[in-house]
Amino acid sequence: MSPSRWTLLAVGVAVVGLALMPQLTRSNYVIGIAISGLIFLTAAEALNLVYGYAGLLSFAQLGFWGVGGYSAALAVMDDGFSFWTAVLAAGAVNLLLSTAIGLAIIRTTRHAFVVVTLTFALLASLIARDWVEVTRGPLGIPGLPAPSLMGFTFDTSARFYYIALAFTLAVLVFLYGLKTSRIGLVLKAINQNDALAESQGISPLPYKLTAFVVAAVITGMAGAIYAFHLKIIDPSFLDFYYMQTFLIIVIIGGAGSFCAVALAGAAMVVLPEALRFSDTLRMVIYGLVLVAAMMFMPRGISGWLQDRRIAALRKALP
Amino acid sequence: MTALLQITGLCKAFRGVRAVQDASFDVEAGSITGLIGPNGSGKSTTIDCISGFQRLDAGRVVLAGRDVTNLSPAVVARAGLIRTFQNVRIYDGYNLLDNLLVAEAPFRGITWVDALVRTRRFRCARSAAEDRARELLELVGLTRLIDRPAATLSYGQKKLLAFAAAMMSRPRMIVLDEPVAGVNPTRINEVAGILRKANRAGVSFLIVEHNVEFISSLCHKVIVFEQGAKLTEGTPEAVRSDPRVLDAYLGIAPAARLDAAVAT
Repeated sequence: MSPSRWTLLAVGVAVVGLALMPQLTRSNYVIGIAISGLIFLTAAEALNLVYGYAGLLSFAQLGFWGVGGYSAALAVMDDGFSFWTAVLAAGAVNLLLSTAIGLAIIRTTRHAFVVVTLTFALLASLIARDWVEVTRGPLGIPGLPAPSLMGFTFDTSARFYYIALAFTLAVLVFLYGLKTSRIGLVLKAINQNDALAESQGISPLPYKLTAFVVAAVITGMAGAIYAFHLKIIDPSFLDFYYMQTFLIIVIIGGAGSFCAVALAGAAMVVLPEALRFSDTLRMVIYGLVLVAAMMFMPRGISGWLQDRRIAALRKALP
Repeated sequence: MTALLQITGLCKAFRGVRAVQDASFDVEAGSITGLIGPNGSGKSTTIDCISGFQRLDAGRVVLAGRDVTNLSPAVVARAGLIRTFQNVRIYDGYNLLDNLLVAEAPFRGITWVDALVRTRRFRCARSAAEDRARELLELVGLTRLIDRPAATLSYGQKKLLAFAAAMMSRPRMIVLDEPVAGVNPTRINEVAGILRKANRAGVSFLIVEHNVEFISSLCHKVIVFEQGAKLTEGTPEAVRSDPRVLDAYLGIAPAARLDAAVAT
């Protein structure tokens, strides 16, 4: 199935709009939100791969996010890496780490998987706080330098924005390719009915492991870029707020739906900011929107649309 | 005829309860073989063991000369033995075409990189798989529903889809777990026709089923299980008149009562 002409047009407009955004606004505040939005969206799509497609509710994403951020920060500050190689190093560290963790836990039951990944995330945040010799402990690592490339320094928000945008687009293109390839089809099949997939000759473990590792690498690189956006990394980088944001984006969009999660990512970043007209009620309204969304669309936007389509087809049957 | 599937001395117990004890039987290449028996006689356990979903306590499973004892379900499937499930299993979230395209076999030898960047090799495999899928939907008569979500199918249609999915990898052998249980009686003949057609195309079948009439009309050989062991085997006629079989099913063995049971 190839996307319709309208979808392609909408994607084109969105990309051009995003590319021109720093020209349209001079406000660092708006651009800052846009950078966060792009990076959160990327991390949410990675979570969508592992949770929505492979059916593994992984809280380890938060740990990988933190490991990526710290790896890149330490590589630059202690080992003299450039920003670019540091981001790649963050991906490589997560590749090794997630392969080791994944091999150990991917065959556990769903509940055990949740508990183990949650433990990993908590452990990562403990290490960030308590292994003072390496991580500098609660003080964190301030003063992360702005990235530069061939004499050009990405020292303003508007310039850094393009790094985030390029990374996000590259990841989304890659994940879209994965989703529409046979790998995406098989991953979701395993999630729907693993016994049936096995009876058809598909070994689930390599597929699940690959999803887990790919998601970890993307999340780690996203974390690395986000740390350099903040210009400081400290243990609050492993705050559960980030995991919660990724998870809300995936659940509101609908686990397993690429486009709906992308749209939900944009909406969920804009919404809390759009509600700033009332500082006291802001988070209350945000919470109400989330509760309402879950009450009326328990399987997210995409699940809601799919249910309606099936209901309509059922009605059309004789 | 030579044996395609050879089961020797199969034993399986669950927490000391002996589900199957020392069962041995063959399925000949090109045949349709029935496996019948009262509830709890170990039929389902036997096919779980054959297809790799349960580990054997003892015994051997040989498929086309290759020992597949205790291999994982995916490996057994790739060796050419595909099973279906009693509680029909399909991918509810997919349309009919995608349900069939998931099957592993058409994409054997295609690497991750091929699938991701869609090389020529991948596109060839994919279009061959689509042709095969359309052919099978034609066989089971679901062609017009090809892009429907599978969740909207009726129970009988889901069983047909599950059968088409089993055929997708061109297996040597398919093990069917109650293919017509819960299917509208008027459509049972249709199912039998589809199975005969597939059999003529070279697929061997082992069919577990309670519908004795269906089994009798279709099978070359019937194996009867009772209390976890093989009671007897033979042609459908021989088995139907065997007093031990009547005894196993009905407790006592007046022929008239069995005929009455078969007629209903």
